[in-house]
Amino acid sequence: MNDIERRAFVKGAAIGTLAFTVGAADVMLTPRQARAQNVPLRTLTADQAATLDAVGETLVPGAKDAGITNFVDQQISIPPEQALLQARILNVRPPFANFYRAMLGAIDGASNKAKGHKFAELSPAEQHDFINLMRQNKIEGWQGPPGPFVYTVLRSDAVDVVYSTMEGYAALGIPYMPHIAPTKKW
Amino acid sequence: MANEKVDVVVVGSGASGSVYASVLAKAGKKVVVLDNGPDRPLTDLISSDIWGRRLKPAGGPILLGGKNPFAYANQGAYAVGGAALHYFAQFPRYLPTDFKMKSEHNRGHDWPIGYEDVAPFYDKVAEQIGVSGDAKAEEKWRPPGKPYPMPPLKIFPAGKVWLKGADANGIHLIPMASGMNSTTFKGRAACIYDGWCADGCPIGALANPLVTYLGEARKAQAEVRGLSNVTRVLTNQAGTRATGVEYYDAQKQRQVQEASVVVLAAWSAQNPRILLNSATDKHPNGLANSNKLVGKFMMTHHIAGTWALFDEDITPHMGTVGAQFMSYDRYAKTSYPGAFGSSFMSAGTSHKTTDYAQSRGDLFGPALAAYMKRAARGLTHLTIFGEDLPNIENRVELISDKDEYGLPMARLIHSFDNDAVALWNANFDQGMKIAKATDAKECWPGKGPVMPTAHLHGGAIMGTDSSNSVTNSYGQTHEIGNLWMAGPCIFPTEGASNPTYTIFSTALRGAEQLAAHWGSVAG
Ligand SMILES: Cc1cc2nc3c(=O)[nH]c(=O)nc-3n(C[C@H](O)[C@H](O)[C@H](O)COP(=O)(O)OP(=O)(O)OC[C@H]3O[C@@H](n4cnc5c(N)ncnc54)[C@H](O)[C@@H]3O)c2cc1C
Ligand code: SF4
Repeated sequence: MNDIERRAFVKGAAIGTLAFTVGAADVMLTPRQARAQNVPLRTLTADQAATLDAVGETLVPGAKDAGITNFVDQQISIPPEQALLQARILNVRPPFANFYRAMLGAIDGASNKAKGHKFAELSPAEQHDFINLMRQNKIEGWQGPPGPFVYTVLRSDAVDVVYSTMEGYAALGIPYMPHIAPTKKW
Repeated sequence: MANEKVDVVVVGSGASGSVYASVLAKAGKKVVVLDNGPDRPLTDLISSDIWGRRLKPAGGPILLGGKNPFAYANQGAYAVGGAALHYFAQFPRYLPTDFKMKSEHNRGHDWPIGYEDVAPFYDKVAEQIGVSGDAKAEEKWRPPGKPYPMPPLKIFPAGKVWLKGADANGIHLIPMASGMNSTTFKGRAACIYDGWCADGCPIGALANPLVTYLGEARKAQAEVRGLSNVTRVLTNQAGTRATGVEYYDAQKQRQVQEASVVVLAAWSAQNPRILLNSATDKHPNGLANSNKLVGKFMMTHHIAGTWALFDEDITPHMGTVGAQFMSYDRYAKTSYPGAFGSSFMSAGTSHKTTDYAQSRGDLFGPALAAYMKRAARGLTHLTIFGEDLPNIENRVELISDKDEYGLPMARLIHSFDNDAVALWNANFDQGMKIAKATDAKECWPGKGPVMPTAHLHGGAIMGTDSSNSVTNSYGQTHEIGNLWMAGPCIFPTEGASNPTYTIFSTALRGAEQLAAHWGSVAG
């Protein structure tokens, strides 16, 4: 394929952002933009969002600003067959919103029990240790989806927003080389 | 609602269904293809691992069970074109030993046909859709055949680095046979090695059904209806003939498509479910199931993956998502003491950032960030697929949960036996020996608590008669002459090679048989 054909494909693609609701209207934004613009969440509560932000940032530095919470919130509010979440590939049974609520609830429940605080209120060192134990299924009294699976799913989401975007490739110095680009950088 | 009766309705538009649609439409038959996924244009195949997930199933109607659940969503499809729309197109073939496991080893099954029956169709498929590779080099392990129409794909450093380690272990790596174009082929573009294949190749360099058999079927007037979820095969009152299928359309409205012949090509998980859900008073166990073999002998390959990390820049992002090299040197079913089954080796695929992250699933936080930078320059992978023996306990069965149309969902129950676990472990040892003999700075086995799986086979296996099987060697069911099964569901053993070259070839053999005997089959 020559460059002209390739460019034609790239130009022809007009999707890649996600539909976020601002006011009454759906607007196309990247999760990073949605976060920067403080787009209201559709499904997650403020507490759940704080937990997800903190877990995401512990798993993959940069995930919070890259909009992990806006990404997940938007994705669990659309029909499962449209969702882009790794949970889909990991055979999570829809509705995905229930699964995310269960994961975030399990994390805060265990954190409260062990430390007397929600995960977002722990120090960065405590957060790191907590995730390390969760990854190995070593948190006593854990209740909810298995810790290692929660780790895998949320780590994938964080990797998605930080590294699997055109911006993420650029940060690692990898040429993205799309046939059809997700047009906006997330 | 009833549609106009057609000659043949094909359920599933993936690798196997597209072949039937093409052959029969070109033979002048009126063909309707129904697929539950959306019919996406090539321009909708966005180069992104995130967006590529739209091409996979989301939840039911297949739930998972057993000690080693199958990676269903990862391997499945939600799009016209099936999983073959976003596969890796590694095209190794089965070897003669795969067709004779019972007679050679007194294990598993024999196929009712041999390698020599399928071989002419390997050659035909290569000519029809294009295969790149070095057929002569493959003849070290298999009988001679025709050369491939295209030379092998390009080699990149992330593949080349494995040669030294393989050589040191007496393993001969040759270029991977691939369903991707190393040159332009029949008007389709040559590959440009950007590695987006698993999210769909919009330039047609990858032999996906849309640009091969399904495209040809459409040109020959076959009608393809996406978002058409087939729930049952319908039969006449006597239960002797299939009369068509029931399906639910994009508006979730019930439809009936009558046809003289029904071909089920909805992959190994859904094909048995549809047969079981089609039970009537004449077929209380489901169609073609008087011997209760429908849904049985589900098989999947286990994967032993070895990672190697180099200090130098080996451009891991360059190439296709398929491997650059392959070897059958551990394919003999008794290659390792204490284990049984074939192993197929492939080395050096291109990688995306999701792969880098998954290659060290234990890392997170700053350690992951540092690792990602190293992986982006120096990571490569060796994959060894291992064979799973047919075990009647590995099965698809109906469960009490219902889908949105009120029909029972199914559970796919799968566990590996001791032979498979032993083979998996032996393949890890082999992979590590190879990796250690390369110049890699570090290497490690991609081994966790879950045994990774790929490819699905069985569920309606072929055999000599209805005492041992559901279909004959062409895929025609023993019990209902105008009901045919296509795809890996009819494979009685699975070898260790990636299956789709054999799926295309056996489907072509079946479709040509159906076309040649149309009058007697269609009635
Ligand atoms: C990521 C990935 C990589 C792969 N790489 C390779 C490789 O390198 N080499 C190789 O040989 N194989 C590979 N495979 C496997 C290969 O894609 C499959 O073996 C092959 O596509 C199976 O062919 P099939 O016709 O049985 O099913 P499919 O190609 O999956 O087609 C089945 C179709 O049936 C449809 N369907 C299912 N249920 C219904 C229903 N109820 N009603 C209507 N339609 C229905 C599905 O939507 C689908 O479109 C890969 C698969 C994946 C997912
Ligand atoms: S690497 Fe080749 S086959 Fe894969 S998407 Fe790119 S052009 Fe297509």
